[in-house]
Amino acid sequence: MSGKFLGLSAADQTSLLRLAILGLISAVAIGSRLYSVIRFESVIHEFDPWFNYRTTKYLVTHGFDKFWNWFDETAWYPLGRVVGGTLYPGIMVTSAAIYNALHLLNLPVDIRNVCVFLAPGFSALTAIATYLLGKEVKNATAGLLAAAFIGIAPGYISRSVAGSYDNEGIAIFLLVWTFYLWLRAVRLGSALNAAFAAISYFYMVSAWGGYVFIINLVPLHVFTLLAMGRYSNRLYVAYSTFYALGTLSSMQVPFVGFQPTFTSEHMAALGTFGLIQVVAAAHYIRGQLPAQQFQTVVRGAVLVLFTVGALALAVLTARGVIAPWTGRFYSLWDTGYAKVHIPIIASVSEHQPTPWPNFFFDLNLLIWLFPAGIFFSFRELTDNHVFLILYSVFAAYFAGVMVRLILTLTPIVCVMAGIAVANLLETYSRNAPSASNSNEPVSMGKRLYALLPRAAVVVNFMFFLFMFQWHCSWITSTAYSSPSVVLASRSPDGSQHIIDDFREAYYWLRKNTRPDAKILSWWDYGYQLAGMADRTTLVDNNTWNNTHIATVGRIMASNEDKAYELARHLDVDYVLVIFGAMLGYSGDDINKFLWMIRIAQGVYPDEVNEQAFFNHEGQYSIGDDASVAMRESLLHKLCYYRFSEVMGPQSFDRVRKQRLPSKVELDNFEEAYTTENWMVRIYKVKDLDNLGRSHHMAAEFAGPRESGFSPF
Amino acid sequence: MRLLAMMGLALASMCTAQSFGQLQQLSSRDPDGIASLKLDQFMEHVVPEDKDYAVVVQLTALAPEYKCDTCQVVDRSLRAVSRGWQKQQGSAERQIAFATLDVEDGEELFRKMGIDKIPRMMIFPPGRGPHAMSNPSPREMKLNARNSSPAGMASRLSELFHTEIRAHEPISFAAIAKYILGTVAACSGLFAVAKAVRRFSLRKLGRNVWAVCTITFVLVMTSGLMWNRINTPPFIGQTRAGEVVLFAPTNNQQFGVETQIVAAAYAVCALCVVLLVRHTLQVPGSDQRTLVTLLVLASLILTYSYINSVFRLKMPGYPFRLLLP
Repeated sequence: MSGKFLGLSAADQTSLLRLAILGLISAVAIGSRLYSVIRFESVIHEFDPWFNYRTTKYLVTHGFDKFWNWFDETAWYPLGRVVGGTLYPGIMVTSAAIYNALHLLNLPVDIRNVCVFLAPGFSALTAIATYLLGKEVKNATAGLLAAAFIGIAPGYISRSVAGSYDNEGIAIFLLVWTFYLWLRAVRLGSALNAAFAAISYFYMVSAWGGYVFIINLVPLHVFTLLAMGRYSNRLYVAYSTFYALGTLSSMQVPFVGFQPTFTSEHMAALGTFGLIQVVAAAHYIRGQLPAQQFQTVVRGAVLVLFTVGALALAVLTARGVIAPWTGRFYSLWDTGYAKVHIPIIASVSEHQPTPWPNFFFDLNLLIWLFPAGIFFSFRELTDNHVFLILYSVFAAYFAGVMVRLILTLTPIVCVMAGIAVANLLETYSRNAPSASNSNEPVSMGKRLYALLPRAAVVVNFMFFLFMFQWHCSWITSTAYSSPSVVLASRSPDGSQHIIDDFREAYYWLRKNTRPDAKILSWWDYGYQLAGMADRTTLVDNNTWNNTHIATVGRIMASNEDKAYELARHLDVDYVLVIFGAMLGYSGDDINKFLWMIRIAQGVYPDEVNEQAFFNHEGQYSIGDDASVAMRESLLHKLCYYRFSEVMGPQSFDRVRKQRLPSKVELDNFEEAYTTENWMVRIYKVKDLDNLGRSHHMAAEFAGPRESGFSPF
Repeated sequence: MRLLAMMGLALASMCTAQSFGQLQQLSSRDPDGIASLKLDQFMEHVVPEDKDYAVVVQLTALAPEYKCDTCQVVDRSLRAVSRGWQKQQGSAERQIAFATLDVEDGEELFRKMGIDKIPRMMIFPPGRGPHAMSNPSPREMKLNARNSSPAGMASRLSELFHTEIRAHEPISFAAIAKYILGTVAACSGLFAVAKAVRRFSLRKLGRNVWAVCTITFVLVMTSGLMWNRINTPPFIGQTRAGEVVLFAPTNNQQFGVETQIVAAAYAVCALCVVLLVRHTLQVPGSDQRTLVTLLVLASLILTYSYINSVFRLKMPGYPFRLLLP
């Protein structure tokens, strides 16, 4: 590395090179998240992002004050939702700030594009933060490797592709950034860095519920260091600053409010804060007293503190001020709890435990470099490494319990793998110590032979890293880049066919129904309905009211007359169902129906009974084989009504591979719209009959049903 | 459907003189209070709809030559529930009987009804009397994992009959002995560790112990232990021909043994990396050094290829491969 290049010294050359590499990593991180935009269009994905997008638009058009006090009467009809107080505003405020800044610079960017490209942009920042973290705990090589890993690891891309406008998109950056600042604060004992960490923590609190991970991991780090006898004034300064500022600022977020003072998730932080004050006091007194007296003081203090603490806990628990031993506390640790007691949590596929292929899918070779990294951390075991190890253990546990938490595991896996690979490459690319000190000329063959093991290892690992890159691109392209609002299929000749039924249906609703129409659908589609159709919904993805969701489930599971009565009671104008039998789209409402039934049964055990929906063979089937309750349920009727007219009477349901029902009669509801591929079907709830008859009688009076196809 | 038609026929042909007493007499021969029915008894006491008592019948094949493990499990659960019911207060007023119809005695019926799956649990509710149900036709209880356990079955039956039914499971001395032995072993282990730590206060060793524990924990977590605990899959798979299958061929299922294999493979890979970094270059002698390095590298590549090939098995269509197919 001697000699000048471009007039730069060796150190400057290295810095320049690092900067360039980091820039390239950022570019790759952004680039590999753009598949969906290139293949489809710049569109918001999935379900939750639609809510975030809608609120961001509201914020941009109405301003911050109105946003903060927004009561949304079009959601959860007739209850409504206090939006300002029940969301994490971080992502909306970030987008709005970027939007306003760009407009200030006379760059008229659409707010939708800001939202679509927010997550990829932040992934570049995450890569930089990871670089700094890696540099903090080991060196720049490890940092660069870690940054490259996190830039393309599918475990993180899964939540941050363009269009996936969700809290996690910015939260992972904030997570890594907060941890970086925290480690720096501890190493330097700097109150300034700790304050920065607290500010970053505040940002995180405002952005994602996962902030609880930080406020438990940092105190745990402090506690472990204390237990290891590593108390230092640096630690005291860092934690006291961080906790005080971080907690006070986090309480400014309305959704969090006073939670840090009484809920069990925040108690560890509070307890550690108290503990470190005591330990600091003990250290101070030890400096002032002779050893003998100090012993007495310690014994007395421990006794007094323990008694006072136990009494306070007992009194507060008895008076109900704090409730540390609630079901919520157990559910975090007892993994079967939610499955048995809370069906609405268990029904979400993201909340399932993780089988091993998911880890390998999302992290590939990093998953086995991870333990090696932990080992190297144990060899050094500075304060920083203690933190990394604690992070590894807890993130691994939570990722095992819940699929979606692979997301929080990914940063630490990348850092640990970065450490491992950096160690390896440094060991093997160092200049070999010369085999003999004599000045004999060494033959070419011998020199190559001596080089062989080093070359083999380095080349092999280079190949592994290339394979990792291929793996990541392939996974991102095939698994994580479909917007799920728009679907694509391939024709036999390889051309792409776009299936756009969702947007077609929502657009129809937007253009053809009264602005105050109330639309009933299963909760999965609530946010999309609100965002794209701009109509009132009964339930949505913010599943705060289980009873209301169960009511919707009950309507779907009831027979036509009962459902009509209930729907009219709730002022429902239209019912929307998702039906995949024509395309073979397996995520449709019939396949979700069992969850609707289960959730409804949880609230209305007398009205809905899961067993009744299984036929005599104990199978969950459709059509003429189905049980009576299933055949007469509203959802079944709405899905299969007149379906055999288009598919032919002898044909099959392409999802369930079963024969279609031979006869579906529907009198109380009227088909309003069905999309091109029959994926979305919309029905109007009929008005009461003019002559006060039941709709069945009216239909009978009108004579035999027309068999032909009549336009709506 | 066919079952119902059958029952209807039976109802017409049978005389309606049924009595709970006769059924109880049959039950009392069995220590757990389960009446073993012959086909004609089944037709006489169970099938008629205008009886004033309920019967819970398992259709099963308990003889060992049928190799029906589920039948045994369900039978054990039903026995536990029956025992619990006999012990319970008020079981005399609520007339509920538990019975078995084995394939040996009821083969003819099974064939007529087209029953191709065993075991099954049928409930014949009372058609008259104080506890008569509005729909006295027989119903089937789905034998899923929950309903096959004694507690689950009892709670399901409780729901159905609107009365409390508890299962009574015998005390398993083997299980208690296992717990005691386990506790003793754990205590003595802890004691030995404590002794050892006191004897040689090895700070270095302590750190290594922590490292091993941490890495083991992380390995089992990242290879799906939690999934196994929550979903309780079979430990190992089997083809129809009875061959052993180690890996479930989909990417959202796994067998218990997979966790162990995968964790071990990850551990080998990580160990190879550690060896490469810390040890192989320290081997004295240049030939030996080369040999050891290449050997470690080869085992790393092989193990990783193995993981990769298993992943390809779980995820058909995955395009990348190393040495192994």
